Amino acid sequence: MASHGLDVYMPIIILMAFAVIMIVGALLVGRILRPHNPNALKESAYECGEEPIGIAWSNFNVRFYVVSLIFIIFDVEGALMFPVAAVFKKFASIGLGAPVFASFVLFILILFSGVIYCWKKGDFDWVKSYRIPSSK
Amino acid sequence: MFEQILFLLSATATIGFTVAVVGTNNLMHACMYLLGTLFGVAGLYATIGADFLAATQIVVYAGGVVILMLFAIMLTGGAEDKKNRFGIEKIPSMGSTKTYIVAGASVLIIAMIVLKMTANIHTANKDLAVASTGNESTVFNIGSLLLTDHILAFEISSILLLGALVGAAIIARPKRN
Amino acid sequence: MNSTIVSYLSQFEGYQKFVSMASSFLGSNASGYITFLVFFLGAFVIVNVMALIGGLGTYAERKISADLQMRQGPNRVGPYGILQFLADGVKMIMKEDIIPSASDKFMFTLAPLLALLGVLATFAVIPFSSGLMLSDLNVGVFYLIGVSSLVGVGVFLAGYSSNSKWSMLGGMRGASQIISYEVPVTLSILSIVLLAGGMSFGTLVNAQSGFPHEWFILHNPFTFIGFFVYFIGALAETNRAPFDLPEAESELVSGYHTEYTGMRFAFFALAEYMEVFVVCGVAAALFLGGYKVPFDLGDGAFFTHTLHLPEFIGKNIGQVLELGSFFTKTLVLYYIVIWIRWTLPRLRVDQLMTLCWKYLTPIALFNLVGCAFWMYYFEGKSLYVLLFKSAAHAAGAGH
Repeated sequence: MASHGLDVYMPIIILMAFAVIMIVGALLVGRILRPHNPNALKESAYECGEEPIGIAWSNFNVRFYVVSLIFIIFDVEGALMFPVAAVFKKFASIGLGAPVFASFVLFILILFSGVIYCWKKGDFDWVKSYRIPSSK
Repeated sequence: MFEQILFLLSATATIGFTVAVVGTNNLMHACMYLLGTLFGVAGLYATIGADFLAATQIVVYAGGVVILMLFAIMLTGGAEDKKNRFGIEKIPSMGSTKTYIVAGASVLIIAMIVLKMTANIHTANKDLAVASTGNESTVFNIGSLLLTDHILAFEISSILLLGALVGAAIIARPKRN
Repeated sequence: MNSTIVSYLSQFEGYQKFVSMASSFLGSNASGYITFLVFFLGAFVIVNVMALIGGLGTYAERKISADLQMRQGPNRVGPYGILQFLADGVKMIMKEDIIPSASDKFMFTLAPLLALLGVLATFAVIPFSSGLMLSDLNVGVFYLIGVSSLVGVGVFLAGYSSNSKWSMLGGMRGASQIISYEVPVTLSILSIVLLAGGMSFGTLVNAQSGFPHEWFILHNPFTFIGFFVYFIGALAETNRAPFDLPEAESELVSGYHTEYTGMRFAFFALAEYMEVFVVCGVAAALFLGGYKVPFDLGDGAFFTHTLHLPEFIGKNIGQVLELGSFFTKTLVLYYIVIWIRWTLPRLRVDQLMTLCWKYLTPIALFNLVGCAFWMYYFEGKSLYVLLFKSAAHAAGAGH
């Protein structure tokens, strides 16, 4: 059957369906079993017993965004390296190990220079880079 | 038969979530529907046998780009769905009925022209399409091609990614003061 | 090759007879429906076993932490308190379902769903044993990396949708921690993929064998370090202490799941414990030989040929041995994860990021280059083979 190869994706869909069923089912069962007494105090956000002051997100640390940008770049590099790594063994067994090794290492070196650049520019420091250098 | 079911699920997910992305007012909700769309596209890749591409779609897009978009929305304060910083009350609509009619008609015309031009390519590849679904793995083909025919593209892509990294870091870096 | 549990079962005559019986009953080829049924049952069993392991994981954590802190731990509900997790589950279902009024209801419900989805979808590729893997995807380990990032989206969404300061901060930190530590984890997995020559879990486990000197952890010094890099990175990805800043109990009340009560919180906790199992399982499969049993008992050849048992029994005994091997290794790692939690203090957020980007990522890149060099220069032979087999060859050639 032509779809023998695609059968391998069936458990993925089944498991995702199970996740949805689990959550929906548990919440439905709970709706029957639970008490339901809403009042304004219960439903307000928790702030250690006080009334919540101000909106929830006032100062956003841009560090988070820079880290996620760097992560995307590394993710794509990883995605590019995976097929090369998977065929490395085959190339090495037929004797072409040296050029494959050279191209792989060149790729990684260019990637690594990106790491060094971000390191030097302080992208990987968290709050500490804001310390005023007064004692130097 | 599972091929049809997988295709139907993926296509429904892609189209349905895309309509939801475009139709919702709330930017965060739109990001979540985009996650569904990207999973649908990954399912479509899986249906035609491109298993590595489906996995890459999930890793890079659903796992990376969606988080990036969520952080970007938080950074630019687009999460408030009623007013944005400039006091504008709702997201400006995408045009009137006339716009949609003109756009729809032009899409139809361009699609017919393109399909006519590529019709002979489609009939020539029909035999290939039947044989290519199944057990063969695309990973070894992609890996071998990246190391033999397209090795220059492989190395240049790493330089491209380095440029993207440096550029993004320069633009997004917080100013020291 | 894509092989699944169905292709393992279809080598037995009983299964073929069953399919042909069903086909004659239905009038058309029933193998598709039987496949679906097998997958459904397999997924059902796996989800239940994993949920049980998740629940027992909470119990194990409380008992082990009690042991480390010289106290008793739960011992009331059932013998040795082992039914404690069931009591907790019942309690959580009966709790009132409070959705904060300021929150976004759709996203509030979506967050635990995404976390659970991210974990359950990884079960499809975990190599429990050579035949009982639900599906041996060609891109197995790559797919696993991708799907476990969904948990990060779930964490962020939980933090955002609760619309409370603690949750927002916890969600941000949690998401950025998960994505940062994905980089050294991916690089460590890459070095193993390089040595094994494939991305599917079947290939990765079959490149190893039963005895410790044939595992990847002792293959070369780079993979040895790689194991620890992977373990630390994966620990951070699951938000377990000492990396549990997003749920830091002493700082952020409860971090991104402050506002979640009852069953919704139970889903987050369940997803976390199941994810720890998945991470330990992947570590066992990649570095510790997975389901491989010493003396190659796993493929049932010993039982079928030497003991002359019928093939069905022989192969299945082999499968049970493989299951036992996999679970033993995974549960030992699980114990170590719990042990680490109650021993080490928590890392600060800047220490977290420094550890990831300034230490683990360069080390992982160095390991990758080292493994590539090993593959090129020694043709991927392990240290044991190089040191001892070559000595045996030299001794044998002298005869």
